[in-house]
Amino acid sequence: MTRVALAALVIVSATTAGARVFMTQQQALAGAFPAGTKVVRQTFFLSPQQSAAAKKESGVEFRDRMIVRYAGSDAAGTAIGYAYFDTHMVRTLPETVMVVVGSDGRVQKVDILSFDEPPDYMPKQRWIDQLRGRKLDDDLSLKRAIRPITGASLSGRAIVNASRKILALHRLLPAQ
Amino acid sequence: MLKRFASIALALTVTTSLFAQDSADLERRLRELEQKIAQMQAAQPNADLAEVRRQIEALGQEIESLKTRQTETVATTDTTTYGMGAAASKVYRADEGISFGGYGEFLYQNLEDRTDTADALRAILYTGYKFNDRVIFNSEIEYEHANTERSGQVEVEFAYLDYLITPAANVRAGLLLMPVGITNEQHEPTAFFAARRSQLDSRIIPTTWNELGVGVFGEVGRFSYRGYMTTALTSSGITAAGIRGSRQRGSQAKADDLAFVGRVDFHPFEGTIIGASAYTGNSGQENTFGGRVTLAEVHADARFRGFEVRALAARGSIDDAAAINAANHLTGAASVGESFGGWYVEGGYDVAPLVTARELSVIPFVRYESFDTQREVPTGFLRNRANDQNILTFGVAFKPIPQTVIKIDWQNVDNEANTGLNQWNIALGYIF
Repeated sequence: MTRVALAALVIVSATTAGARVFMTQQQALAGAFPAGTKVVRQTFFLSPQQSAAAKKESGVEFRDRMIVRYAGSDAAGTAIGYAYFDTHMVRTLPETVMVVVGSDGRVQKVDILSFDEPPDYMPKQRWIDQLRGRKLDDDLSLKRAIRPITGASLSGRAIVNASRKILALHRLLPAQ
Repeated sequence: MLKRFASIALALTVTTSLFAQDSADLERRLRELEQKIAQMQAAQPNADLAEVRRQIEALGQEIESLKTRQTETVATTDTTTYGMGAAASKVYRADEGISFGGYGEFLYQNLEDRTDTADALRAILYTGYKFNDRVIFNSEIEYEHANTERSGQVEVEFAYLDYLITPAANVRAGLLLMPVGITNEQHEPTAFFAARRSQLDSRIIPTTWNELGVGVFGEVGRFSYRGYMTTALTSSGITAAGIRGSRQRGSQAKADDLAFVGRVDFHPFEGTIIGASAYTGNSGQENTFGGRVTLAEVHADARFRGFEVRALAARGSIDDAAAINAANHLTGAASVGESFGGWYVEGGYDVAPLVTARELSVIPFVRYESFDTQREVPTGFLRNRANDQNILTFGVAFKPIPQTVIKIDWQNVDNEANTGLNQWNIALGYIF
């Protein structure tokens, strides 16, 4: 047991030492919505049926059961967007992204909060910009409308999959 | 608890009714009590639920914080670095640390009129280390053919230090991959369709080509570049089959002659690269002749909507070919080529999206290559027409997940001497 705990400690320490977090959630959220937006944190617990439906619709496997989103609304209470955070593996190391979904169900913005793979694999902003305005359909794929990243296809795939997963979940969750 | 409140309320109602002045007053007071009970019924469960919800919310925030790694150090950010956008550049100021990666290939070859072979072709381990925000180490250690007591070997394919200055100009030094062609720098098995790399990438561009050197690299807008000064090829290894044997590979390399290699790539839009590279340097080393080797190539790589197309054309020349022949005791058709070159084009289309939304890929592909290591030979020597080859390869690459690939293909090998032997291949590859 002690050995297991020590091993866990080493793994956690190693992971922390190698972490490449460069934007906090608060910093990301500050850029997600216009100034003056009321942002409410919402927690949802997926039923097995909801989880299965989201996997089927997105084509992406995931294990999340608890979904947190940040719903932004204007002074009149009208929804203007929803920010979701997702952490996933790229190649052998994780990244965390924020995907902001507009009230029309399309991607408004994608930001990378952390990226642990070597910098050469990091998607450039001009590649990320391809995701803006995309909805959950067949075109949201590296094999369709999203051009792959030459030499870093797994990085592109990770963000496309995260976007598909979040858009599928967004469809299932109630409006604010 | 609810029942107790209800009982009290009911008793109060009855008692109240005894002292009622009139029925209207009684009804009014009854309504008021019913409303109070309803309020208590509504309020009572909320007291418990609110606490449960508060605890769930607290746990949810803890879980979210762990999942999105908000407990970890946030690197400070100010300006962009190394050509990346505001977000991307921040990684260069992240904590130091080690990174691992790797790839491997297994190859079965069914050869016409020859012994079939199966080989653990490559097992590679990448290791990198970020010393600080400016200094990064990267390396690739390769194990070929599984066992050094047989035909296997262990090699450091590259090992270099980067000193990051600005997006437009950075310094790299060490054992470098020569930035020539498409495959030399990107040779992982998932990066090309066929079981075997193109033969042009072996005979004309001696992939994997690595030399000791120092240089600069960077990005300016949609252009990226690399320019190195390196140890040069050595003429003692040049043969009729090309310059492959003349690589020094960082192993006690002769450095009397140095070479220059440069590359520029243009990225007109995501998924597409158009570029060119050139190498030039004497190969004579300790010999009296110069033996300059020059190699230039142009390339393009485009990917969109499941299509992938790559094309490359290369041309090279070797000065003092006759002197090299003399020094290497080469006669007749064994002469080195004064000029050499070739081209290839390959294309594939991922048909999997037509039938499934899953991320697997099924890519029928075709590649055609044409090259000659002896386009011209010095006066008094002969060309070996077997070195003038045309190879047609077609098959299927199947990727159950993007990091693994199974390839099956057939190669029609044709040469001007009509001695080409066909083969079919099966390969298994992985990257991580």
